[in-house]
Amino acid sequence: MWVKLAGSILVIAASTAIGFRLAAEFEERPRQIRHLQGMLTGLKAFINFSARPLPEALRQIASGRKGPVAEMFLRTGELLGRSGENTEQALAAARMGLAKQLALARPEAEVLEQLFAVLGKTNRREQEKCLDLAINQLQEIEQEAAAEREKHTKVCRYLGVCGGLAIVIVLI
Amino acid sequence: MAFQASVSLDPRVLTLLPQALARVMRSISPDIAQKITEIRLRAGHPLFLAFGSSDAMLDKEGRLTEDGKEAVHCGVEDLMWVFQTASKSSVYAFEEEIRQGFITVEGGHRIGFAGQAVVLNDRVETIKNIGSVNIRLAREIKGCSENVLPFLIQGGRLLNTIIISPPGCGKTTLLRDLVRQASSGNSKQKLAGATVGLVDERSEIAACAGGIPTVDLGPRADVLDGCPKAVGMIMLIRAMGPRVLVTDELGRPEDAVAVRDAVNAGVCVITSAHAHSVEDLLGRPHIGDIIRQGLFDRAVVLSSEPVPGTVKEIVALRQGKVLFRRKPEGCLCG
Repeated sequence: MWVKLAGSILVIAASTAIGFRLAAEFEERPRQIRHLQGMLTGLKAFINFSARPLPEALRQIASGRKGPVAEMFLRTGELLGRSGENTEQALAAARMGLAKQLALARPEAEVLEQLFAVLGKTNRREQEKCLDLAINQLQEIEQEAAAEREKHTKVCRYLGVCGGLAIVIVLI
Repeated sequence: MAFQASVSLDPRVLTLLPQALARVMRSISPDIAQKITEIRLRAGHPLFLAFGSSDAMLDKEGRLTEDGKEAVHCGVEDLMWVFQTASKSSVYAFEEEIRQGFITVEGGHRIGFAGQAVVLNDRVETIKNIGSVNIRLAREIKGCSENVLPFLIQGGRLLNTIIISPPGCGKTTLLRDLVRQASSGNSKQKLAGATVGLVDERSEIAACAGGIPTVDLGPRADVLDGCPKAVGMIMLIRAMGPRVLVTDELGRPEDAVAVRDAVNAGVCVITSAHAHSVEDLLGRPHIGDIIRQGLFDRAVVLSSEPVPGTVKEIVALRQGKVLFRRKPEGCLCG
């Protein structure tokens, strides 16, 4: 009896944890998109106001900030500082190294790739336009991601708990 | 009288080159490497090394060659690599420099580009499809102004001086050492150290990295890096109160106005300009005018013959008197 009870509690706890974990992933994505917008706004200031070269600008924006997005900017800046790496290659390498921590989905990743394909290749005026476009696109994507979060986080949590209960009922 | 480079090739220059070219450059013997003044890359053509007024190609083993077939060739991608590395993948950070056709990198080396100019409203916006790259090597030669200095001092203070020569004769190298001497002082010449303001528009004299000079400019030098000369001279006079003001390559009308203002403010001005001789310089608009007005006391004329840094003559401009003239067959010293 006690063994069954303990087993049931374990199954419910595990299922609930999985549900909450999935919900956390849905919560993480809009947070990272917001973080990304903040970083790009900072980058715009570094490019427009002080005309700092990208390796330095990316490193400075990331310094003092925590989280995978800041780490991605820091690594991209470091890779770019090395001879011969271009912006797209440096971003791709940084993203690959942080694949587990980054919760960026295809839409925001595409915005980032498009931006880095032109980043550093034009004058300040054009760079500003590209950064503004990327920031606006990210704002829209963030709204969609936030709506998805609202929809999915509760479902994931309920499914976690209820799924656990269902398994216990079936097994008992 | 001449100063000659006797320092090896700056390793920072090699990081600008694609790996294959850098490997060949590394295998050049040190005695040749220390004489290189320029590295020239042209798309589809051999890599050339310039040694003052002569040049040579390189084979794959890093030896000098006359045979174009044996020589190491450069491709468009090699030039793009140099452009990307020199601009730190950030064209926007070097907009003005690219408009002028060159970027100065750490160490004060000037990377010149030629290709297709993109023009908007009669103004060069940028250069695309780069076809040629010229890496002009800067060298810090401490003490190279030692022999010139006695001619530029009167009553323990420096005189207003202009250094004249065509490109590649050592104007910037001499100017850099004069900044160091003025800032540190020279007991042998009874010159006390003074506050020096340096407007380094092309970042070649101080070779600043992150705003800090990477060459020795002495303890009293204040550097305004990457700032247009005319604006920078006035800014430094107001903000830093220099006793000696140094800048490179005068040419524009506003430069002449700024020099006049500085001299009238009682500041000693040391600068340079492109010309073959004092007579040539007098024929140039604006700069010629301020020479005629007697703003400068001394002119130092440099030549690349027989070697870059050869002092051809030193002229007392106000008196119209030649203080030093190099004899054609004379031995070199300094």
